[in-house]
Amino acid sequence: MNTNSNVYTIVYTTLIVVVAAAILSIAAMALKPKQQANIKAETISQMLTAAGFSSKEDLAKLGNDKVLAMYSQNIKTAFLIDAEGNKTGELETEVSGIELQDNLKLENKNIQNGNPSLPVYVFEKDGQDINVIPCYGAGLWGPIWGYLAFNADCTEILGAYFDHDSETPGLGAKIKDEPSFREQFKGKKLNFDNPDNPFDIVKGGAPADNLSAIDAITGATMTCNGLDAAIDTWAKAYMPFLQKKAAAAAGDDCCEDGCCEGHDHDHDHGHDHAHHHHDHEHNHQEG
Amino acid sequence: MNEDLKKTLLNPIFKGNPITVLVLGICSSLAVTVQLKGAFVMALSVIIVTGLSSFVVSLLRNSIPNRVRIIVQLVVVALMVILVDQVLKAYAYAIDKQLSVYIGLIITNCIVMGRIEAFALGNKPIPSLLDGLANGAGYGMILIIVAFFRELLGSGTLFGLRVLPASYVPNNLVILPPMALIILGCIVWVQRSIQKDLQEK
Repeated sequence: MNTNSNVYTIVYTTLIVVVAAAILSIAAMALKPKQQANIKAETISQMLTAAGFSSKEDLAKLGNDKVLAMYSQNIKTAFLIDAEGNKTGELETEVSGIELQDNLKLENKNIQNGNPSLPVYVFEKDGQDINVIPCYGAGLWGPIWGYLAFNADCTEILGAYFDHDSETPGLGAKIKDEPSFREQFKGKKLNFDNPDNPFDIVKGGAPADNLSAIDAITGATMTCNGLDAAIDTWAKAYMPFLQKKAAAAAGDDCCEDGCCEGHDHDHDHGHDHAHHHHDHEHNHQEG
Repeated sequence: MNEDLKKTLLNPIFKGNPITVLVLGICSSLAVTVQLKGAFVMALSVIIVTGLSSFVVSLLRNSIPNRVRIIVQLVVVALMVILVDQVLKAYAYAIDKQLSVYIGLIITNCIVMGRIEAFALGNKPIPSLLDGLANGAGYGMILIIVAFFRELLGSGTLFGLRVLPASYVPNNLVILPPMALIILGCIVWVQRSIQKDLQEK
C-alpha cells in the first residue's frame, strides 16, 4: 500500500484525529464530576482563606469533604443580589448541596450588560459577620479572579485571596503566591465616594495615607493593572449593596447585635431608600 | 536481544541522560523543582507520556504517512499529555495547580519528540515503550535530585515534612529558578568527572 498517496494521508490523519478526539471526550466525561468537586472545594478554600478562617495550604491538606464541612459550619447565609443591590435569591449552604455562584466569567459579562446576579457570602466569626465577594478580570495571559472579605458593615477589607489561570510564575503569579501582597489588603477600604475607581494598585508604591490603595508588584505591571481593573469593576457592581450596608451601620449603633444583617423586614422596604434605611428599622428603637 | 534491552533501559538513566548529557528539557526542570512533591508528579507524568507516546507511535510506525509524520506524532503526544492533565485535575488537583502550565508544556518537551523520532519510528513497540519509560526516568531522576537539594535547603523540608531543625533559616536563593541551573551544573560536573569520555576536548 502506498502510504504516501494524498488519499491515504487524508484518510489516515482524519482517522487519527477522530480516534484521539473520541478518547479525550470519554476521558473528559468520565473525570468531570471529580474535577468539578475539586474546583468547588478550591473555590470554597479561597473564600475561607480570604475571610481568615484558615490558610490555603492548611485547607489543601484537609481534603474536599472537610473543606465543604468547614464552609457549611461557618457560613451564615449566601445570597444573590442584582445591580441595585437587592437580594434576588438564596444559595444553599447545607453541606450536602452547597450552591456557589462561581461562573465569574459569565457574571463579568453580565456586569457589563448591566444585568448581573452577584453572590454575597456572609460568614460568621467570633460573632461578627464577614461579607465575602468575588472579583474577576483579565491578567496578562489569562483570567485572574479572587475574593475580598469585608467586615460586617462593609467599610473595611479583612482579607483577600487571588488566583490566576496562567500569569508568569515569579512575577504576575505573585498575586497568588506572595502572602505579603495579599496582606496589604487588610485594613484597607473601598473609596465609596469614587464608585468608578474605588481601589488602586499603585506602581512605585501607594501613599501611606491612602486607605484605598496598595503597592503593585515589581515586574508585574500588566497583572496588577488587570487586578486593579477587576476590583474596580466588581466593586462598582457591588457598590449599591456595600453602601447600603455601610449606611445601615452608620445610622444604627446596634449593628453588632445583628439588626442590620438584612432581615427580611429590611428587604421589604429598606433598599430603595438606603439613606433612610434606619427609619424603617424596628430594631432601631431597641438600640 | 536481552543485552540490547538492558542497554535501552540503563543508558538514558546515566550515560545518555536526557538532561545532563543531551541537555533537553531544561526549562521545565528549572520550573518544577522547588518542592519534591511537584517534581515527583512531574517526573511521573513525563515517564508516562514518553513511554506511552513511544509505544503508540511505534505501533503505528509502518502506517504513518511520511509527509505528515511529525503531525501524527504530535497528535499522539498531545493526546497523552491531555489525558495525564485530566487525570491529575481529578485526582491531584492541588499539585496540578502547582505545576500549572508545565504539564501542558510536556508536549513541547524535546525528550518526548526526540525519542519518538530517534527510537520509536525504527523499533518494535516493547523496546520503544521501555526506551520512552527509561528516558522519562532519566529526566525524572535529575528532577528529583535537584528538587531534593532545593526543598531541603530552601524550605528545610522533604516532601513537606520538616527535616532540618526549626532554627534553620531557609535560603531564599535556593527557591529561585537560577539555583536550579546551578545545581544542575553541579550534577553535570559530577557526572563528567566520573565519566571522562563526556568531557569536551
